[in-house]
Amino acid sequence: MVKNVIPASYSEALKLLNEDSYKLIAGGTDLMVQRRSWSETPPEFPENVLYIFNLEELKYIKEEDGYILIGSTTPVEDLLTNDLTPHLLKEAIGIMASPALRHMATIAGNIGNASPAGDTLPILYILDAIIVLESVEGVRELPINEIITGPRRHVIKENEIIKEIKLPISVFTNSAFEKIGGRKADAISKVSFTGAVNIKDDKVLDFRIAFGAVSATILRRKELEQKYIGLTKEELIGKVDDIVVDYDPFVRPIDDQRSNKEYRKTVALNLLRNFIETL
Amino acid sequence: MAIIKFKLNNKEVVMDENPNLRLLDVLREKFEFTGVKEGCGEGECGACAVLINNDIVNSCIIPLGNVNGKEIMTIEGFSVSKKYEIIKDAFADEGAVQCGFCTPGMIIASESLLNKNPHPTEEEIKTGLSGNLCRCTGYNSIVKAVKGAAKKGDGLW
Amino acid sequence: MKDISTSVLKIDNEEKSKGSALYVSDIKIPGMYYAKTVRSTIPKGKIKKITFPKLPENYTIVDYKDIPGPNIVKMIFDDQPIFAEENVTYYGEPILLVVGPEKIIIADLVKNINIEYVEETPEYGYVNSIINYNFVKGDAKSAFENADKVVQFDYVTGYQEQLYIEPQGMVVEVEGKKVILTGSIQCPYYVKNAVLQALNAEDSEVTVIQAVVGGAFGGKEEFPSLITTQLAVAAKKIGKPIKMIYEREEDMEVTTKRHPSKIHMEAAISKDNEILAFKSNVGIDAGANTGLSGVVLSRALIACSGAYTIDNLAVNGDVFITNTVPNGAYRGFGAPQMLFAVEMFINHIAKEINVDPLELRLKYLSKQGDSTSTQGTFRDPIIMKEMIEKGMEVSDYKRKKIEYAKKDVYKGIGMSFFLHGCGFTGSGESTHINALVKLRKDKDDKVHILIAAVDMGQGIRTTMMKIVSQVLNIPLEQTIYDLPNTDFVPDSGPTVASRTIMIVGGLVARAAQQLKEKWEVGVELIVSERYKHPEYIKWDEDNFVGDAYPAYSWGVNIVEVEVCPVTYQVSLQHVWSVYDVGKAIDERIVLGQADGGIMQGIGYGYLEVMNSKDGKIQQKNVTDYIIPTSVDSPPLDTYLMDNPYALGPYGAKGAGELTLVGGAPAVALAIEEAIGEKVFNIPVTPEYIMELIKNGNN
Repeated sequence: MVKNVIPASYSEALKLLNEDSYKLIAGGTDLMVQRRSWSETPPEFPENVLYIFNLEELKYIKEEDGYILIGSTTPVEDLLTNDLTPHLLKEAIGIMASPALRHMATIAGNIGNASPAGDTLPILYILDAIIVLESVEGVRELPINEIITGPRRHVIKENEIIKEIKLPISVFTNSAFEKIGGRKADAISKVSFTGAVNIKDDKVLDFRIAFGAVSATILRRKELEQKYIGLTKEELIGKVDDIVVDYDPFVRPIDDQRSNKEYRKTVALNLLRNFIETL
Repeated sequence: MAIIKFKLNNKEVVMDENPNLRLLDVLREKFEFTGVKEGCGEGECGACAVLINNDIVNSCIIPLGNVNGKEIMTIEGFSVSKKYEIIKDAFADEGAVQCGFCTPGMIIASESLLNKNPHPTEEEIKTGLSGNLCRCTGYNSIVKAVKGAAKKGDGLW
Repeated sequence: MKDISTSVLKIDNEEKSKGSALYVSDIKIPGMYYAKTVRSTIPKGKIKKITFPKLPENYTIVDYKDIPGPNIVKMIFDDQPIFAEENVTYYGEPILLVVGPEKIIIADLVKNINIEYVEETPEYGYVNSIINYNFVKGDAKSAFENADKVVQFDYVTGYQEQLYIEPQGMVVEVEGKKVILTGSIQCPYYVKNAVLQALNAEDSEVTVIQAVVGGAFGGKEEFPSLITTQLAVAAKKIGKPIKMIYEREEDMEVTTKRHPSKIHMEAAISKDNEILAFKSNVGIDAGANTGLSGVVLSRALIACSGAYTIDNLAVNGDVFITNTVPNGAYRGFGAPQMLFAVEMFINHIAKEINVDPLELRLKYLSKQGDSTSTQGTFRDPIIMKEMIEKGMEVSDYKRKKIEYAKKDVYKGIGMSFFLHGCGFTGSGESTHINALVKLRKDKDDKVHILIAAVDMGQGIRTTMMKIVSQVLNIPLEQTIYDLPNTDFVPDSGPTVASRTIMIVGGLVARAAQQLKEKWEVGVELIVSERYKHPEYIKWDEDNFVGDAYPAYSWGVNIVEVEVCPVTYQVSLQHVWSVYDVGKAIDERIVLGQADGGIMQGIGYGYLEVMNSKDGKIQQKNVTDYIIPTSVDSPPLDTYLMDNPYALGPYGAKGAGELTLVGGAPAVALAIEEAIGEKVFNIPVTPEYIMELIKNGNN
């Protein structure tokens, strides 16, 4: 007999997860679509289900020790209107889906779904997000790029819940987030670009680039970014062709019903070039 | 099965039910509401929109389990309010009701928006309605209706 | 007496706003069963064997063997079966229904039905022509022989999905020998006639009732005849009420869409840059059966010179059968495809011969008295010159054209000129429809409007009531227009072809006039009016000669865009439209129709992508097939200019389709200007724009 449980508290949820295997459902904006069945019949959940969306313990945003801490099932719409939310994350949320979906969508869901086109993921990667996982055995922290290993694949254990997202407070002088969907709202990303730099006293102190929907997981290559630390602004802009050449081999999008690989690749690199040239 | 308690149009409800069920199906089948509709079943068109704690959501992708402890308002519940009167009159005045299938959802979206932002700009109205698809009106008259409602209902939101 | 155009509040605003209007999915009948369609999973082949799981009690399979009459969906041709027998001709073709009381069990049964096929090679190309039409005007042959120059280009248009927000559905009940069907339909009598034939039934044994319809746009014109015949056969077999509502993905994959087309245009140009002749070769993809494709092709071919008078024409068109989902009616019905090609072509000609496009187009713009594409006459005044002036003034067109022509300005403004023939082509009204309307005044002096016309959002319940109340000089509340039920209303024809106000409304107005003359307080009275074909409208169907339509509505669309050179995305900035629909029976309603129409037309031009691969529709949900959201829609300014048509009620002509047909070329021309490259295909997606810019020679 399948169990569908609404836990009364976070600790009860952890306990249950340790006793049996459950499919975790947060807002349901991805899962309920994936498991759709004929109308008026129950969606297809052949496994046990644990409802974590309403756990108040996981809904918060606060600042602590140089980090912004976000409870994993905070609806993204709440983050949109909070002063603590980093600017880039607000930009990504602002053009994500629709108000109705944003009231139910969560970062936990984005991570758990691990789609290459997940809307908040490029921001998590570029901000060096640390994901806090918790189980009855304790807490462990992993950088986001170690959590997601491929489309719909992650290393979260069966008895673990994504508890919190830790975003190191970063300073950027310029940043940009561009999501290219089929239309201006309510669209799945064809390709996305995020860029963030910190230029102080005409020296590049920080240079970060991430792409969404152009590879199996979010594309960020720190070793390429490192090459451009220490340059002056003018030198950085002057190296735009090199930078594009650097990223070219890693941008490997696919053809699907929404777009084709030539378009995705060309636009990804155009966005990169445009970001640098307009610094 | 699980016990799920919530408020529906200001009435307390307790159900012992499969929490996986779509809220849309529960509202249409168990409570016989017709104002929530299935246009797409994937949370894209907004024809199934309801308010949960005054925020617009798509009931076709909400599992019943997630409404535990919440307050749900459908168009039927909203339609007894003064705010509804103002919005629906504004829709009528602008010719914003054609086939009507998106209309309850659009009205719910308008309420959700005006609740947070009583004097939205045209851009903000469009964003507020961005999860509700309409094929008949081209949105023009609906945006004008929301503008008109905001003006007329000054003080209510 | 108030001007009829003065707007009134629509009579169904309240029930629709509050959610109490009953659409078909809201209908509940005690003891109701459900049905699910089992469909072909191959594009072409033969059914070898079907294995069924054990059926629990009360669960039934309904297939072609259960059809009392012929296994044909009555339309124009007999090539659409109600259920596939041995041959399947498209992926998704219905083979049988599983019917029963519980959906969960039906779903399980469907999963366990196994169908073995012998696959055959499908055809997807424009190869098998099932209908060919060709005609001439003047002497195009000589014109081309004597031409100084020939300009030719090829244009391609894609699918368009109607995407009514309410999916298709029907409910059927049995009462003794009677079968009663209620659903989301445009044409109650098309449905009734199809069911009568399928059941071999007597006229009194089938009733069709319209539920409130949540949008249709042509998608519910002929398709419902398939669903209703299937359900009627099922209901007759098991004697229970049955409800079948399509899932959105199912609806998108298997219901009719706008025909994709390929159009080859040639122009013979003289030494003095005169357009001597047009030659056009049109191919439309019908999908797996003919349906209404012949009529779609007709309308497209008749639009082959658009809003222009070209003296010599050679026109050829084919309907191609392919192993894909059958295509059908969608607002515009062949005209959007052709008008896109014509508008782009005349602009492309201008560029080739180095003439100002606007000058060239104004030179050939049709005038009253001109010979139409089929050698009929534009009898009525044409006010296009004034409409164009108005459009250009309000949009600041001239200044922007100069400004946006600059090289690094990625903005564009495009203007389309177009017309739409109102009503059925040629003698269709008299030979195929022969519309009859009735008005019944009851003892309380309330006037019941008895017509089969369906309000699907375009407001005809309100506008028909306005016509009657205006003629009779009674308040609107004294008129009644219930949702059509074939037991109570005569066949006034289908709700299609922009005919409802002009033709049916015209009959209603005449009937009201009759009633006025015979009016007696407190006495019940019924009057009727039958369509009478205007004597001077003569049409030779075989040769495409004469007056194809009794009247034409005209339009100008101006669209301004900005294209991002980094992402190639198009952002709509503003739209201006000017329309001549004769006279608006309700200004607000017509403006609402105009807004919706232009967004569909523009969406067709730049946004809505649907492809078929290996016979399967690739964009089959609302996430993947994108239509504009509120954020995508720009300010829409629409102006109506009166130009009353003598035979229309209060001067009204057709408006339903006109406002869609010009959107695609207007946006395509704007994008063309913004990127400095010629556009040949729609939708003009960012992917296509990228290709044009990369391969361009500008």
